[in-house]
Amino acid sequence: MNSQPADPAYKVLVVDDEPQIQRLLSLALRGAGYHVSVAGDGETALAGAAFARQDLILLDLGLPDMDGIEVLRRLREWTQTPVVVLTVQDGESEKITALDSGADDYIMKPFNTGELLARLRVALRHGSLAGVEQPLMRFGEVEVDLARRRVTRAGQAVKLTATEYDLFHLLVRHAGKVLTHRQILREVWGADHESEMQYLRVYVARLRDKLESEPASPRLLLTEPGVGYRLEDN
Amino acid sequence: MESLVMDGNNLDARASVVSRPRDGRPGVPGTIPRLVRRLQDFPLFAPSWQQYLVAFANAVTLTLLNLWLQNWIGYQAIALVYLLSIVLLALIISRGPILLGTLLTAAAWNFFFAPPPFAFNMSDFYDNMMLVTYFVVTLTVGHLTGHLRTQRDTELRNRLLAESERLGRSLLNSVSHELRTPIAGIQSASSSLRSCAGVPPEARTLAAEIETASLRLNRVVQSLLSAARLQSGQLRANLEWHDVADVVRSAARDAGPFLDGHPFEIRIDPDLPLARVDHVLLQQALSNLIVNAAVHTPPGTPITVSARVEPPHLLIDVADRGPGIPADQVQRLFEPFCRLPQSAPGGTGLGLAIARGFLEAQGGSIHAGPRPGGGAVFSLRLKLTPMTRVPEE
Repeated sequence: MNSQPADPAYKVLVVDDEPQIQRLLSLALRGAGYHVSVAGDGETALAGAAFARQDLILLDLGLPDMDGIEVLRRLREWTQTPVVVLTVQDGESEKITALDSGADDYIMKPFNTGELLARLRVALRHGSLAGVEQPLMRFGEVEVDLARRRVTRAGQAVKLTATEYDLFHLLVRHAGKVLTHRQILREVWGADHESEMQYLRVYVARLRDKLESEPASPRLLLTEPGVGYRLEDN
Repeated sequence: MESLVMDGNNLDARASVVSRPRDGRPGVPGTIPRLVRRLQDFPLFAPSWQQYLVAFANAVTLTLLNLWLQNWIGYQAIALVYLLSIVLLALIISRGPILLGTLLTAAAWNFFFAPPPFAFNMSDFYDNMMLVTYFVVTLTVGHLTGHLRTQRDTELRNRLLAESERLGRSLLNSVSHELRTPIAGIQSASSSLRSCAGVPPEARTLAAEIETASLRLNRVVQSLLSAARLQSGQLRANLEWHDVADVVRSAARDAGPFLDGHPFEIRIDPDLPLARVDHVLLQQALSNLIVNAAVHTPPGTPITVSARVEPPHLLIDVADRGPGIPADQVQRLFEPFCRLPQSAPGGTGLGLAIARGFLEAQGGSIHAGPRPGGGAVFSLRLKLTPMTRVPEE
């Protein structure tokens, strides 16, 4: 397939009740070099995740025996394996609930295989780096020195206020991953300000002004419509 | 759905269609309340001439019964028999007929039983007291049971509405799932095929065609579901503070595959304030307008989306350089399935109707008109809300 083979064969558990989607996902994932196992319902998925170590779980939220969110919650009780959920297009609240319940990312059905594989790679990298903070990180022309709290763009130092830095640092720590509005507001402004969406909008606009080369068409601080933000991580 | 009629009979017919929770009515469970509910569901429930007839018949029957009973019991006990009958009657009939029943029985008691017999005048103070008490008790009971019934019906109606909304939603969700799963299959397979190594270029092109078609099909499904959601009246706008530029960009990304070579430009005033809108609804309305412009204008003509403030409104314009809209057709344009003469084939005819519905759901409006210099412009108008201050550092 189009992508370079995933090194030492990552194991992916595909949870979906539609046989055709199971086949297509298995085919695409095997083609990209992953080891694939398949579960058709929530119970099988939980058992599959418990019996064999998985590197990633691709979870459809509409399962026949239990709510996909419930599967996710039960998984999160004991494992931090990255979980990417599959949702339908109008499921805004479902996406948010899934992310707030510990999903690493979501993909909307219908999906493009190339995009799916790209998302899985990001989630896998994120899973393997969990807890490891590199002192120096680079996103396009923006460089962050976490140890010295310094941000530069194209070699020029960028002055960020304390809150702007906190917000950017949070996004950097979860680079590539979608953070919901609530997650960001709680981390940066505290639980009392969880619903003050306007804070977030204003600060994201300021960060874009300072960090994006073209603030009008952001390439770094991406909006996930109705859900949250993601720091593009290439 | 059809409108709900406030009628005991009808309500209950519906209640049994929609699965009724076990003993779901308010009140105490048990045999007697159940029996009372049965009686209340009786057609007599609505105040009607039948109920007045029942009240009248009750007064006559009870008077005959009491004329016989007076051989064994005193006239005060007879008043209690009347009282009992009215209280029981209050459980099944409404206030007006109860008042009639009360008046009739009180008169009958006064005339036939209270001394002096066969006369309306009563000399005894206690008898007069009793008559007053009688009225107070029956009317209070009648009022209270009537009140309870109204409350019960409101609750029942609300539960029915909630239930039918829930059913409608789950039906829409399952239709959405059933339609989208095969589309997901087609898109996933065609996009895999397109990027597979060793596939000849012609097959790659064909796979790309299949993928484009599946995207279009998905958009049609989206439109039909949106229209169904609008029509069912279940649309609730989820208003939040949003950066309009973000919404416009998301809409442009959605519409991207349908632009078919139209040059596309976004012009947004950099000082645009945040707006309180529903991101999902606004995004879909905008992408519908962009796709609509792309479909109905000649290839190669530009499409521009611009946003600006004209206090107290926020305006988002989708402008094209197509043939424009005949002035007499502007009103019809937003009706579902409206198709203008000489318009390009394609599209469901729902896009503009949905855009209007989605705008109105969040307190906005949409207008179409000619664009200076040629073409058409669709204007979205949203009321700006003053924003609470964001704390500075």
